[in-house]
Amino acid sequence: MLTLLEVMERALTGKALPEREFDINLSKKLSEIVKEYDIKYDGETLIPSDNSLADDVFEAAIHFYSEVGSYCIDTGRVIHFDENEIKKALKLAPSQITLGEGADAKTLVPRKPDSDIPPWCFLGAGGAPVSSEEIFLRLVEAYASIPLADSVTTPALTNVNGMRIRPGSPLEILGSIRTVVLAREALRRAGRPGMPIMNAVSTAATSVALNTALPYGLRKTDGYLLAVLAELKTNFDMLNKVCALQAFGCRDGICCENGPVYGGYCGGPEGTAIVTVAGHFMGVLMFRAGWHLVFPIHMFYTCNSTPELLWASSVYAQAISRNTHLLSLHLNYTAAGPCTEMCLYEIAAQRLAAIPSGVSIESVGVGKAKHEDYLTPIEPRFAAEVAYAVLGMKREDANELAKTIVKKYADRIPNPPMGRRYQECCDIKTGKPGKECLEVYEKVKKELSDLGLEFKY
Amino acid sequence: MSSKEELIKRLRDAVIARDKDAVVQVANEIVNRGDIDPLEAIEKGVAEGARIVGEKFEKMEMFLTDLILAAEAMKAGIDILLAKLPVEKAPKKKGTVVIGTVAGDIHDIGKNIVVALLRANGFEVYDLGTDVPPAKFVEEAEKVNADIIAMSALMTSTVGVQKDVIEYLKDTGKRNKFAVLVGGGAATAEWAEEVGADGYGETAIDAVKEATRLIEVKRKC
Repeated sequence: MLTLLEVMERALTGKALPEREFDINLSKKLSEIVKEYDIKYDGETLIPSDNSLADDVFEAAIHFYSEVGSYCIDTGRVIHFDENEIKKALKLAPSQITLGEGADAKTLVPRKPDSDIPPWCFLGAGGAPVSSEEIFLRLVEAYASIPLADSVTTPALTNVNGMRIRPGSPLEILGSIRTVVLAREALRRAGRPGMPIMNAVSTAATSVALNTALPYGLRKTDGYLLAVLAELKTNFDMLNKVCALQAFGCRDGICCENGPVYGGYCGGPEGTAIVTVAGHFMGVLMFRAGWHLVFPIHMFYTCNSTPELLWASSVYAQAISRNTHLLSLHLNYTAAGPCTEMCLYEIAAQRLAAIPSGVSIESVGVGKAKHEDYLTPIEPRFAAEVAYAVLGMKREDANELAKTIVKKYADRIPNPPMGRRYQECCDIKTGKPGKECLEVYEKVKKELSDLGLEFKY
Repeated sequence: MSSKEELIKRLRDAVIARDKDAVVQVANEIVNRGDIDPLEAIEKGVAEGARIVGEKFEKMEMFLTDLILAAEAMKAGIDILLAKLPVEKAPKKKGTVVIGTVAGDIHDIGKNIVVALLRANGFEVYDLGTDVPPAKFVEEAEKVNADIIAMSALMTSTVGVQKDVIEYLKDTGKRNKFAVLVGGGAATAEWAEEVGADGYGETAIDAVKEATRLIEVKRKC
């Protein structure tokens, strides 16, 4: 396994290339490799059960990444790894990690396609923004109170004392500290003080904000998201975070977060699946990631519930889970907002694509996770319940069920319902979901049960 | 010798094929013949090819790299053809846009899609890249006499900078000089209204439609 200093040396001495050339070369090479390995999305299957397709995508990704490498924006150079280095790093990567403390500690283990090993359920906001500290507290407490939750993902505070947060400013540092303090308090209120926060300090925050927030309640057993910049790029600030976290003594918690853009430099669903797999290699080699958070995403609709992205998500998951012991979580983004039937259908299809394909989950970025206060605790709870309901389901069966569910919403993805704000869906004093919200949830659960989904919770 | 129609069709097809070398070759052939109006070659050849690529991109039959390469091929062809046109006959550009991802935000793929799509639609685009401070947007817009300042922000923590740019324009008495277009993962229509932007694009396609609308509004004023 390469050290951070060896990665830095390559970042300083690798092939010098303008960023645009790297992007175009990546795209052209990807297109060649998709053809060479004959990777094809047939336009109908959502969850393939062809093991050779998954294995071909994995081999294609190794070939692709060994040729293209990653790009350091600050040095304008390519960081290259050969096939042996990639394969060796995959063998040395952690095959299980323990996050959280005391009674709330739990071990994240790899899964396989069609497996009945319970998934890790990382539940919460998917980075969606909230307008007040009160809503933040209520939501995190509610997320931690979901019985199937193994860890929480906090919302993003948009302001500090009414001042909108600005990146790289004291407001960002104050916001990061406040996020940690409030999240710990919410977990204590839920009676799960040792539960890990797995998006400790948002991905967007600078390494300065991360460093400053570390002493205010963050733990070595929390999760820390380090983003791959689309596609397969990094910068000094991201590597600074690796440096800071290693010095902090955090090993298992480092996460490589990767959201390849379908329609962007990845091209079609086939290229998107390959880049998603390659992002895992980058995470292991450059960030020494203990776990991986993955969300291939639609260029126009900023969600991953479209048929193409369900396919790409399933194929990447199978490629990784069949060929490595990496700990990969699929993060879903819905087009529709909270308290809508469409949102729950999207979640069901997305969890059908992930769980039988052999990975764990983070859920959920509701309504593209972009509208302030448009989130409730119902959607992540529903996602975990679906995840457990489809445990052990064969991919063939998952595919048929997903196709039926996708028909219920696919044509509305370009113009999805926005749903309702937290304040309209939940009682702000108790944090409990209101009647209308629960009715939507019960209705969709019944519909899915009628379709054959056996809910255990 | 190829007919005029054949040459213009070859020019169009070379743009669709994202083949810059072929575009240059055909554009030179057209210019050297001297009997084809360069303006017609631009409109029916280069621009038509770009329009078809844009359509395919919207249907996701082509992707970002195709769009970038087609836009570059288009520019190479137009440069050759325009050189033979008197200045007064040169087609008017659709508008000038200064664009960037706001300070503190290093995400550029969404912005790159908008850049490529704007260029394919005949806009002159000055791309300032990522992590662009408010004053830089304004300085550059003044320097190139832009019609529109367009800003992308992916993150909740960076979207506030879009407001800073608009406030900067107001506080320096330049707000009415430029239309302001906001977009990116963290921006919403409500946000655009709250901060006083002139337009909002949820997707790259929306952004181009909004830019076109803003130019039309400006020309009517």
